[in-house]
Amino acid sequence: MKTINKDRILPLLKKYVIFFVLIGLMILFSILTPYFLTVQNITNIFVQQSYVIIAAVGLAFVMIGGGMDLSIGWQMSLVGVVTATLMKNVGLPVPVAVLIGCMLGIVLGLFNGFMAITLKVHPLIVTLGTLTAYQGLSYIAANQSVILNLPPSFKYLGQGYVFGFIPVGVILMLIVVGTGSFILNKTYFGRYVYANGSNEEAAHLAGIDVRKTRLMIFALCGFFVALASMVLFARTGSAAPSTGPGTEFTCMTAAVLGGVSFKGGEGKMWGVVTGVLILGILSNGMQLIGMGTYAQFIVRGGVLLAAVGFDTYQKASAAKVKKMV
Amino acid sequence: MKETVLSTKNITKRYPGVVALNRFSIDFHKGEVHALLGENGAGKSTLIKIIAGAVQADDGTIEINGKSFRKLDPLHAKKNGIEVIYQEFNLVDSLSVAENICLGERHGKFVDHAWMAKKASEVFARMGVDIDPEALVSELPTSRQQLVEIAKAVSKDAKILIMDEPSAPLSVSEVEKLFQIIRTLKESGVTVIYISHRMDEIFEISDRVTVMRDGLYVETLETAKTDRKRLIQLMVGREISDTYPSKRCEIGEVVLEINGLTGSGDTEVSFRLHKGEILGLAGLIGAGRTELARMIYGADKSESGEIIVKGQRVKIHLPSDAIRHGIGLIPEDRKQQGCFLEKPIAWNATIANLRKISRGILLDRKREKEQAEHYVGLFSIKTPSIQQLVKNLSGGNQQKVVLAKTLATNSDILIFDEPTRGIDVGAKQEIYELMAKLSGEGKAILMITSDMAELLGMSDRIIVLSGGRLTGELTKEEFSQVRVLELASNIH
Repeated sequence: MKTINKDRILPLLKKYVIFFVLIGLMILFSILTPYFLTVQNITNIFVQQSYVIIAAVGLAFVMIGGGMDLSIGWQMSLVGVVTATLMKNVGLPVPVAVLIGCMLGIVLGLFNGFMAITLKVHPLIVTLGTLTAYQGLSYIAANQSVILNLPPSFKYLGQGYVFGFIPVGVILMLIVVGTGSFILNKTYFGRYVYANGSNEEAAHLAGIDVRKTRLMIFALCGFFVALASMVLFARTGSAAPSTGPGTEFTCMTAAVLGGVSFKGGEGKMWGVVTGVLILGILSNGMQLIGMGTYAQFIVRGGVLLAAVGFDTYQKASAAKVKKMV
Repeated sequence: MKETVLSTKNITKRYPGVVALNRFSIDFHKGEVHALLGENGAGKSTLIKIIAGAVQADDGTIEINGKSFRKLDPLHAKKNGIEVIYQEFNLVDSLSVAENICLGERHGKFVDHAWMAKKASEVFARMGVDIDPEALVSELPTSRQQLVEIAKAVSKDAKILIMDEPSAPLSVSEVEKLFQIIRTLKESGVTVIYISHRMDEIFEISDRVTVMRDGLYVETLETAKTDRKRLIQLMVGREISDTYPSKRCEIGEVVLEINGLTGSGDTEVSFRLHKGEILGLAGLIGAGRTELARMIYGADKSESGEIIVKGQRVKIHLPSDAIRHGIGLIPEDRKQQGCFLEKPIAWNATIANLRKISRGILLDRKREKEQAEHYVGLFSIKTPSIQQLVKNLSGGNQQKVVLAKTLATNSDILIFDEPTRGIDVGAKQEIYELMAKLSGEGKAILMITSDMAELLGMSDRIIVLSGGRLTGELTKEEFSQVRVLELASNIH
């Protein structure tokens, strides 16, 4: 049993290929620039990516459940602007404003889910509509201006440190990833999420309330997205409606990179986190070696295409092997 | 001597587990209407698909006007004047009627709408129907779409026109119109191959009729010289093998009573199911059997009527309600509805009662494993481990996983919809034994099946649906294929 078996190593390699890509990138950039592998820089990457990871966890639930949410960027914007307004203009205490902001996130998510169910339209289309509506709401809530100087106790969420060296945002991110992973792997609801995504009709016939499951998934996503919004706005220190949008595509790219299936039913939390980190390290590393912003876009696009292509190739060759047997 | 335009010689087609056509030879004459008759699964659809080139035969040849083909593809079939009107529509919804009729044809370098409209109008005039060539297909009712489908085939100047259940979506007057079209075509020398379950139509329109059974050629008769009884006998003809498990226990009290259950259609159904009984639900395709099962199970909405489980009137809105009242469904389509192919056996076998075997909100892996292993052992599911993905199992073993999933909910009333479809013979036997064992344990089973041998071999009692309506009930002593077919085609 001690002999290392090729048949065992190969599937393992394939399964964790994304992880090796991450390690490979880190080694590559460490060689290319001395500024990459420093405590300061690595901490920076984590601080910068923590809100993306939190939002990606929410999106991962929706995608694994067979849906899609294009509106999370504008959800973040709206939640952030409303929370900031409540703190600065209405004068509510910070914890109360944050709580209301989180509840707003849940409501926005629920609305997406509710519309998808009642209109019987794929969430991709529904959220294409709601993202525009949320955009409008966000600009109205901000009264077309930027709210500056958010309270220090709020900014702590994005800029503060615990024990003087662990960023608060990173801690929140770890809690969210842990919670997401726990729900997905350890609870029956997590199993229902996979069931919904992998075969909705079979899930329906197995007695699962697929509508309720979908609503809960979207509510959960809305909550995580609201948390991501808090971390992002607290780091920025001011609230503008243009903060947040774009996150949806980063999250989507990361999720697909991390092995979340577009068709639903497949995906792991660690994969999503690895996906976000790959994108984060790529842009950080490319910046450090002085690559232009636009060239970076090309590389990111190429990475996504390569990842998706590799995945399809793998599945096709697996299917071929099965047929031959 | 009539001229033969199309013939097949020793055509054989195998699908996994079944021989759909077995050394099948048939001749079609010029200018005749030739009906094909047979039960579900007799091989009619396979035959027309092979003639149309949509599927290739494993063996045998097709001769069209003296030319012999070993392999025929759709293009060559069309070139030789063969056109098919399939049961499912092949129209593009978003295009106009004229565009559909002229699909695949060219007139000049650019799209010529005037020419298309003219061509469509000509065909409709020939057929004597009035349809606007400019209308979108999606705007037309189903019966009109069927007429467009027919017009499309007619416009191609087919020499051999195959119609698979063309009258199904048509009203009585439209069927009359269809027959007129067929007669006109016949006079101009077109051969029409007509498939229908409706005996009346076969007697009205066809010159000759060929009976098929289990992929075999039975006999070709001149329609005028035969009658319904004779045809049904020929369709049935087969002896039932006595390989079905014998009777297991006494039939007990009523456990499920359906009173006037109505769905989206306008018909209602009532029947009773007893403890320890296997009740066969027979009917032709489209008779509404699956729809009935799905309504009882709460998978689809019922309009009115009541469901009484063990003397209690129950409300069933969702499958979870049905499961709570002890009703389980083994759905018709194993792969699309029954299981999660990309997930392991253990995952599939526990999904329906997952909440019950969880501790609060937490999954209990140990109990999941125990339950999965229990059923793998009980049903002798052939797999290296319970972590095997269901897609890697054979059809029979997949069905056993679906059964495990359903039984795990402690259902006393089981609805099997086509329990052995697409399963090889050995596995079928195992499923039969499992069903017998379950009914022996006092489970009540409602079995929907299109397999006549299975229906007669397994059932304790049979009810027959036709057009969404119960047309009869047969006790064990009255069982005969002839009776079932008569009731299913609504002849008394």
